[in-house]
Amino acid sequence: MEWQTDWGLRGRMALTMFLLFALYIVFVGALTLYFTNLAAIVVVMGLFLGAQFFFSDKLALYSMGAREVDPEEYPELHRTIDRLSQQADLPKPKVAVADSRVPNAFATGRSKKSSAVCVTTGIMNTLDQDELEGVLAHELAHIKNRDVMVMTIASFLSTIAFLIVRWGWLFSGGRDRGSQQAPVIVAILVSLVVWIISFLLIRALSRYREYAADRGGAMITGKPSALANALMKIDGRMDKVPKEDMRDQAEMNAFFIIPIKVGWIGRLFSTHPSTENRIDRLQDLERELEGR
Amino acid sequence: MGLLDGLKSVLGVKAEADATRDADPDDLFGMSTAYVTMEADLGYEPTGEAALCFADVDSTDFRDAMDEVESILDAGRVETGTRATFETDDHGYQWVVLHDDDFEDLLTSIHFAADTLVERRYGSRLLAALFAFEDARSDQVVYWVYSFRRGAYYPFAPDPHDDHERNTSAEFKLDSNLGDELTVESDKEYWYPLWPDRPGYHPWE
Repeated sequence: MEWQTDWGLRGRMALTMFLLFALYIVFVGALTLYFTNLAAIVVVMGLFLGAQFFFSDKLALYSMGAREVDPEEYPELHRTIDRLSQQADLPKPKVAVADSRVPNAFATGRSKKSSAVCVTTGIMNTLDQDELEGVLAHELAHIKNRDVMVMTIASFLSTIAFLIVRWGWLFSGGRDRGSQQAPVIVAILVSLVVWIISFLLIRALSRYREYAADRGGAMITGKPSALANALMKIDGRMDKVPKEDMRDQAEMNAFFIIPIKVGWIGRLFSTHPSTENRIDRLQDLERELEGR
Repeated sequence: MGLLDGLKSVLGVKAEADATRDADPDDLFGMSTAYVTMEADLGYEPTGEAALCFADVDSTDFRDAMDEVESILDAGRVETGTRATFETDDHGYQWVVLHDDDFEDLLTSIHFAADTLVERRYGSRLLAALFAFEDARSDQVVYWVYSFRRGAYYPFAPDPHDDHERNTSAEFKLDSNLGDELTVESDKEYWYPLWPDRPGYHPWE
C-alpha cells in the first residue's frame, strides 16, 4: 500500500509559513526603526508566551473542565490509545475526559512527552469504536506534527503586533512629543496591517494543518472512511440551532453582499476547513486504498 | 529529535511519514540465539507459540495479501509442521498465531508472514511479533515483543494474578539479561503492553 504524497497541501503549507515568516521579518525591521526598547518588549512578551506555551497542556484541559483518567476508569479508551500510539510510533500521551455532551476531542501539549489527548463524554456516546479511533488518530497526528508548538510560534509576533495596535499609543507620550508623535502612529499602522495579514495567514495555516492531521490520522488507522463518518456524525450534532427570528435574519442579510459564513469571507476567517472539504479529501484517500 | 524530523513536523507531514514508514524487521532474528539463553540461564521455556499482530486495512487488496500469507503458511506447514491460526481481537486487530514446538521454525514462519506483508507494501501495518515463554515454577508467562515500528524488542510480562498489571521485576530481569543478544528498546515509554482480552490468556485469544 503506497499513499500518494499531497504536494499541493505541502506546497500551500510551506508557502503560508514562508509568507508569515517574511511578513514578520519586515515587521521586526519596521519596529526597530521606531522603538529603541524593542528588545525589551520582545523579551517580556517572549516570557509571557513561553509561560503560556509551557502550561498550555494544563490550561487547555482546565478550560475544558477535563481531568486525566487512568486505565481502571476508562480501560477501553486507554487500550485504544495504546494501540494507536504504538502504530503512530509515539509515546503514549496522557488521556483526559471532559464531561460534556458536545461531541469534541482535542490534543494539547508542547512536546511529544507532555502531550494529552482529551475527549468529551459526548463524543464517546456519539461515535462507534471505529469512528472514535479515527478521531483519536487525528489527534495523535496533531501531536506528531507538533501543532501546538508550530501554531504558538506562528502567532507569537502576531500577538505582539496586536498589542502594539492596542497599546502602542502609550509610547507616544514623553518629553520630545513633537518629534516622536508621527513615527508611533506609523508603527501602529504598520502593526495593524501586519496583524490583519498574519491573522489570515495563521488561519490558513491552521486549516492546512487540519488537513494534514486528517491524512496522518487516516494513515494511522488505515480507515479514512471511519474518520469521514465521525466528521459527518459530529457535524450533524453540532448543527447550531438558530436563536434569532428568521425575519430579523432576512433583514440583516440584506446588508451583506455575500452572506457571512457561507461565502469566501467566512472561510477565510475559520480555523477549520469545512466538513465537506475534509470528507472529500478522505474519500480521495479511500480511493487510493482501493488503488484507483 | 533530528533536524529532518523537526522539519517534517513543521511541514505537518511527520504523522503521515511515520504512520506509513515501512516495517523494520532487521533485528527480528536476534531471537534465534536469545531463546537458548532464555531457556538455559533464566528458566523460561518457549510455550510453542508466536504471533504476529497487525492493523487491518479496509481494502480488497489487503484481503488478497492476507490470503497470500495464509497460503504461504499452509505451504510451510508441510515442511516444518508449523500450524497457523488466524484471530481477530476485541480491538479489531488481526493476529496470525503460529504453533510449533521447534522454536526456530516458529521464528522462520513469523519472518515469512511478516516478509509477505512487507513485500505487498503493508509493512507499515505490522505492529508487533510476540514470542511467548513460560516459567513453569511460577506460572509467569512473558513475551518478547518485537516492534516493527521501532525495530527493537522489549519484554512484556503481564501479572498472572492481577488484571492490567505488569510484573516489572520480571521485565527488568529479561531486559538486563538479554540486552546483549537482542536489540532492546531503550526508551521504556515505547514498551507498550498488549493486554489479553481475558486475564490469564494470550493477547490473541
